[in-house]
Amino acid sequence: MTPDSGSLVSLDGIHKTFFTRHFFYRENDDARRRIYVKKEVHAAQDINIDIAPGKIFGLLGPNGAGKTTTVKMISGLVKPDKGAVWVEGINVEKSRKEILKRIGVVLEGTRTTIWPLTPMENLRYYGNLKNVRGSVLKKRAHELLDFIGLSEKKDVQVRHMSRGQKQKLAICIALIADPKVILLDEPTTGLDVQSSRAIKDKIIEMTREHGKAVLVTTHDMHVAQELCDTIGIIDQGKLVTCKPMNELIEVFSESVFEFRVDEAPLLDPLRAIPGVVQAEVENGNQSNTKLLVLHLTPKEEFRSEALYNVVTHLRDCGIQLHSINQRQQNLESVFLQLTTSSI
Amino acid sequence: MGFFLVMKAEIIRSLIIMRRYWFRTLTGMAIGYGMLMVLIIGFMSSRDTITDAVDGRFADPTTATNFVLGFILGMFAFGVVGMFTQGIQGMAQSGVLEQLCMSPHGLIVNFLAKATVGAVTSVFYSGIMVWLVTISVNGVLYFDAFPVIVLLTLTFINLLGFGFMMGGLTLVFKQVGQVAILIRMALFALAIFAREELLEINFLISAVMHALPITDAAICLKYVLIYDQGAVNGEYASVFTHPSFYFLILNCVVWTSIGIACFKVMENWSRSRGTLGTY
Ligand SMILES: Nc1ncnc2c1ncn2[C@@H]1O[C@H](COP(=O)(O)OP(=O)(O)OP(=O)(O)O)[C@@H](O)[C@H]1O
Ligand SMILES: [Mg+2]
Repeated sequence: MTPDSGSLVSLDGIHKTFFTRHFFYRENDDARRRIYVKKEVHAAQDINIDIAPGKIFGLLGPNGAGKTTTVKMISGLVKPDKGAVWVEGINVEKSRKEILKRIGVVLEGTRTTIWPLTPMENLRYYGNLKNVRGSVLKKRAHELLDFIGLSEKKDVQVRHMSRGQKQKLAICIALIADPKVILLDEPTTGLDVQSSRAIKDKIIEMTREHGKAVLVTTHDMHVAQELCDTIGIIDQGKLVTCKPMNELIEVFSESVFEFRVDEAPLLDPLRAIPGVVQAEVENGNQSNTKLLVLHLTPKEEFRSEALYNVVTHLRDCGIQLHSINQRQQNLESVFLQLTTSSI
Repeated sequence: MGFFLVMKAEIIRSLIIMRRYWFRTLTGMAIGYGMLMVLIIGFMSSRDTITDAVDGRFADPTTATNFVLGFILGMFAFGVVGMFTQGIQGMAQSGVLEQLCMSPHGLIVNFLAKATVGAVTSVFYSGIMVWLVTISVNGVLYFDAFPVIVLLTLTFINLLGFGFMMGGLTLVFKQVGQVAILIRMALFALAIFAREELLEINFLISAVMHALPITDAAICLKYVLIYDQGAVNGEYASVFTHPSFYFLILNCVVWTSIGIACFKVMENWSRSRGTLGTY
């Protein structure tokens, strides 16, 4: 099968299961028994992602969801069990070396930099490994250090630098070969406000102006909301949702309603109404009213029915209704809603 | 092409590190020298008591040089294989391994360059050490440049093949590193005690000795450096006509093919198990 034409990165039905084997000790009545356990972890189950040039894709998900694994599969560090990854129309498994020239990767939390060397020497070393050399390498290294704000540290050994500075250097290393596709695994962890701002701006600039495709994983919803055009939420290896940012927020905003009421109703009967997914009471700003927040089903045909039923139920209970509002959602609440099941 | 670029990067990196850690480099050499001397003196004196020699400690300098040369060759073997086993383990933990894997030149070229630079540096150091120690024990080394360089290169290629095999195993099974220490020790001992007499005990032992990656190399090198290609015992015969030399070449071919094939398979396997990182 060929990839979707027009996208730089395309994941096509990716599956990955890891097996871990270890001995497990169980205390019995009289003896300690040793049991051999083999565990499966589904790090990716049928993942389909397409990233067009000039777009930023955000991959979100709780710890251990499979984000890093996905990034590694695109960069050829992990081989998918099933499915194929395409970068610029080239199959990663078939011609890995071609792909590696085209991507820049920052892996989360690893010590990619060589500590006894300075940032400049690190960039030259990795530049050579990536087939960049000579004056091009020199010029690009200077530019990168300038933009990321490490130029005054360029002659200090990496081991003397702070964690955030190392992270910045790792980002520079990923960009040294001027890759078309950039994969950033938690790029802004440990960075100060200015730097993470600068990096966000740079990512946006690079993507828009040079038509690069970027995949970012992050736990920072603000970063994701500001940066990404498309959001994919992954949970236990499954892509729960994959939608353009504004659409995603809209869909969820449509289904959350705030009822301003004079006293808190019992929640259980409300939850029993078909179409009501979740119900809770928040204290309103005005002390004499309460805020009843209901999450309704996203299916429109059931939603109006549910709304009628809720209003009728409130009236039957003798509760006075002051106002009804559709709540504006943000990415964080959407994320929580989609992934709470596993927490 | 890519190999030379990576090699250049690797040379620059190790020169910088050597210069930056010059104190460690120097003390390392001093400690090496001291250790070697202590070992030699111990070795010689215990030998004396056994053989009841009366002529004094260093009566037969070839025994001492034999030992020294073997020791340093052993260190070399220990180091080259270690670059693959401990080296890969360390790099997997730090994440540098994943970076190397993402270099378009490929992991094999990267390790080849790393090992070559490492080997040249260590030959340089060992050379100085052999020379110092030989002087201290009144030994004589016959340095015939051409055969020595050929032999050292072959020795290196020989160890490289073995190293690639061990390295491949380390990629998948991280615990191999510990077992590898034992194997490296064995190589080390083999380099010290490798002698032609060892090959003449019986067929089985000689077959095993030939199959192992350092024996023939050590015998050849000793033959050149200590026995001046036979001239010491009267009749000169170039090392290139020595049977061990042919075994060495055969050994190189076999081990490198096995090593690289094994490494490739293991690299693939390790990618599917995701063990290139810290797992
Ligand atoms: N090589 C491996 N061997 C065994 N299990 C693995 C391996 N790599 C990943 N896993 C497992 O796969 C799951 C997904 O891991 P992954 O690192 O992709 O999570 P993540 O989404 O990046 O999480 P985090 O937010 O914590 O970074 C985890 O349960 C992890 O334990
Ligand atoms: Mg991760």
